[in-house]
Amino acid sequence: MSKLAVAIVAAALPFGALAAPESYTMDPYHTYPNFEVDHLGYSKMRGRFDKSAGKFTIDTAAKTGSLDLTVQTASISTGDNDKGTRPRARDEHLRTADFFNVAEFPTMTYKATTVRFSGDNVTSVEGNLTLLGVTKPLTLSVEGWKCGPHPVSKRAMCGANAQGTFKRSDFGMKFGVPGVGDEIKLWVEVEGFKD
Amino acid sequence: MDALLNHPAIQAAAAPFLAGLITAGLLYRARMGGLAVVAGFAAAVALISGFNFSPLTATRKIVLLGLLAPAMGLALDWFAKPSRLLNTALALLAAAASIWVFWSVLVQKELADALRLGAIVAASTGITVALTLSLTARPVRLAAAGLCLGLGAGIAAVLAASALYGQYGIAVGAACGAVLLLQMVLGRAVPTGITFALSASLLAGLFGAAAMLLASLHWTALALLCLAPLAARLPLPKKMPVWLEAIVVALFCMLPAMAAFYLTWTSAHGSQG
Repeated sequence: MSKLAVAIVAAALPFGALAAPESYTMDPYHTYPNFEVDHLGYSKMRGRFDKSAGKFTIDTAAKTGSLDLTVQTASISTGDNDKGTRPRARDEHLRTADFFNVAEFPTMTYKATTVRFSGDNVTSVEGNLTLLGVTKPLTLSVEGWKCGPHPVSKRAMCGANAQGTFKRSDFGMKFGVPGVGDEIKLWVEVEGFKD
Repeated sequence: MDALLNHPAIQAAAAPFLAGLITAGLLYRARMGGLAVVAGFAAAVALISGFNFSPLTATRKIVLLGLLAPAMGLALDWFAKPSRLLNTALALLAAAASIWVFWSVLVQKELADALRLGAIVAASTGITVALTLSLTARPVRLAAAGLCLGLGAGIAAVLAASALYGQYGIAVGAACGAVLLLQMVLGRAVPTGITFALSASLLAGLFGAAAMLLASLHWTALALLCLAPLAARLPLPKKMPVWLEAIVVALFCMLPAMAAFYLTWTSAHGSQG
């Protein structure tokens, strides 16, 4: 009897493993949020956050998942970090209370509440963005979802590109509106290795 | 109209100046001209960010204190006698309030840094309030000191990378300038009391401190800004006309502020203390 039980359990193990949610840790070197904002109606300024970290889980059988991303707001970079003869560089200004207020709010977070699938591929993520202490829902559409082994290290990994849009004024970041646009286009390139 | 109201010069200077002038003009006979500061500041807040207190950030705490300070000032003007003890108590209260304002920032720092920055913030706010309150019996000098404190904190904040605190500081200066102008036009001093002194000094002190903690104003520049009300105490001939006294005192008060601007401008990227 006990041998039969062991055999059944052993036979079921691969299916159990397949159904279990898989946990991934984001690769900080290939995961970064970047954004675009209108400047005076003349151009679109783009920037990125150089430091972020997070985890996600995927259960392709149950079609569920989770995502938890934390971004270091002080790592913002728009390519203008040297003030030269001006009173301030743009990145320095973006770190002040006018915009990201990094001394008071050193991180912004995105936590997914629902992950949508098409087949085995993630197509969108619904969750909450917390910025400047304000939490608002934000849906990210996901393109190019792909899981497989890393071509060199052979470690199991997943990656995708997510994007969404929100109004910064909804989070209390009102400085410069409307000259500096209210609408923020956000992209997040994500790669994560299986834990 | 929207474009006009969104213009930084309207938000930080013209609107607060007008609101301050109208309030002082209407209320100075009732000895409530000191409310000009909160009127000007409230006009700026309404135009720049609106009255939203959730979440209660450091900036919003300053706005809240800016709205509450004149209420306390009015009560003290009506029911308390000005004294050194009262000034000291208010300065200590302001210093404690500054720690409450910046608590969420300080707790995220290493203990030694938090203690050092907390001490600088509390000392600068307390000293600014104490020195300004000591001018309460000399309304022309008080208004000139308020003008310089507000403009000083505002312009220094702009140079230290925070246009928002810059606008708020300049708004306080503009409202104080309106009271100074009223006295110049009337040719006599208009008592504005603790209401004016507490509102102007607390707001300017806190915005200066915010520019240090949340932007890149150097602490030495903040220390220089505290000296503006001290410069307003310089001896002048007793029979000097009010308009001339106002101009001379304002010029003297601007000297420490100008030194703070220079320090901020020349520091490569500034540093927090």
